[in-house]
Amino acid sequence: MTVKTADITDCVDTIEDYFHGILAQLETMREQLVELFDRGPVDSAVARARIEPHARRFLDTFPIVGSGYVAARGALSDEPLYLAWWQGDNQDLLAEPDAPATGDPLDYTRHPWFRTPERTGQPYVTGPYVDFVCTDEYVMTSTAPVISRGTMVGVVGADTLVETLEGLLLPALRAAGATLVNDQGRTVVSADPHLATGSLLDLRDHRENVRCRDLPMSVVRR
Amino acid sequence: MATVRRASTRARSAIFAPIGDEGRAVRVENRLAEAIRSGVLADGERLPSEPELASMLGVATVTAREALVALRAQGLVTTTRGRGGGSFVTRPEQSGPAELGSRLASMSRVELRDRGTIYGVILAGCAELAAERADASDVEGLRALLLDETEPDVGRWRHADSELYLSVAALTQSARMTREVVRLEADFGALLRLPLSEPEFRAATTARHLALVDAIEAHDADQARQCVRDHVSDALETLADLHAAMP
Repeated sequence: MTVKTADITDCVDTIEDYFHGILAQLETMREQLVELFDRGPVDSAVARARIEPHARRFLDTFPIVGSGYVAARGALSDEPLYLAWWQGDNQDLLAEPDAPATGDPLDYTRHPWFRTPERTGQPYVTGPYVDFVCTDEYVMTSTAPVISRGTMVGVVGADTLVETLEGLLLPALRAAGATLVNDQGRTVVSADPHLATGSLLDLRDHRENVRCRDLPMSVVRR
Repeated sequence: MATVRRASTRARSAIFAPIGDEGRAVRVENRLAEAIRSGVLADGERLPSEPELASMLGVATVTAREALVALRAQGLVTTTRGRGGGSFVTRPEQSGPAELGSRLASMSRVELRDRGTIYGVILAGCAELAAERADASDVEGLRALLLDETEPDVGRWRHADSELYLSVAALTQSARMTREVVRLEADFGALLRLPLSEPEFRAATTARHLALVDAIEAHDADQARQCVRDHVSDALETLADLHAAMP
């Protein structure tokens, strides 16, 4: 017996509220950098100084674990790859992209959170995935492309722990008996305790499927 | 309350063996050496002073000093005197052939197999789960890490190989598993990639890693597990030959 006590659109509203709030902050950060890059060559120190107060305020006021600007290859005059990215309780700066374990430089530009906004020119939410470049945690990363004079000079972004999303979204999802999935059909949070976060779902089994506005995710129900 | 008497095992008697002062310096040394090699203690980081270290670890100052002497001899710590002086972490060049060669030479065959076993079992398990959980864009990311067997740069091989295994670990969707693999990679990954200096081994690696990504794409968990087992086994056997050939 299935009891549907709440409407699926309540879940969609909760999810849209959260991620559209994140994307609005990213839009402010994006504008700052576009204005800077439009004026001429930028080095890592200048980009970092411009974005730092915004990233820190964002971290202070939203339940995110990391935020900042990630440069496209060659966009900065002094560093080929660079992250003006703050994370953790102490808002530590991550600057050099080092591979964990080996310490070699890591090319982050192949990761979906960078590649997808580069390809589409639009904001994107990547995940859930285990991020071993920045947080070493299970996260969803929202990124928006920074485009100056027709070229993408990097992305601005924010990481949210999947645990945080579980806390925020589970009540609404449980009330509706629904599951949040990403655009690859991967479970983000589900009312069903046997549907593990991160597992792939066969969407053909689900009669109802409501896409979240401007976000690569849907709320589904059997 | 009844007391249950357990069969005495070597592991149990080791736990309850008296801790002699003579063994303590080695334990302090090993603990700090592992933390430095795995990057938990960062390059250039200042270590606490000898008395501070001794009190934090609950050992005598002379024991802490003895451990630091041994770490200096290993090149893992540098000590400077005077104002602003102290002991500083010097993280070794992980991929440096001299450091890797001396690490390999210092290992027993038992230790090599021991480390190889945990590495192989964990990575094979990761491959199995990755095959169940990877989506199309994940597979695209893995393919971007595969090198052509004609690629001549051994450094690129080692880097791509390590990143491929970290990426497979991340596809388990478990952050703890990924952190464990990061630790294993720092601890043993560089040694296991010594055989990549041989062109034949690189050719075999290309074939096996292509098969691994194909298996993950096909959601074939058994095949993915087997690919990693085959690869790690071959790397270990080649490493055993290198080890045996060392003076």
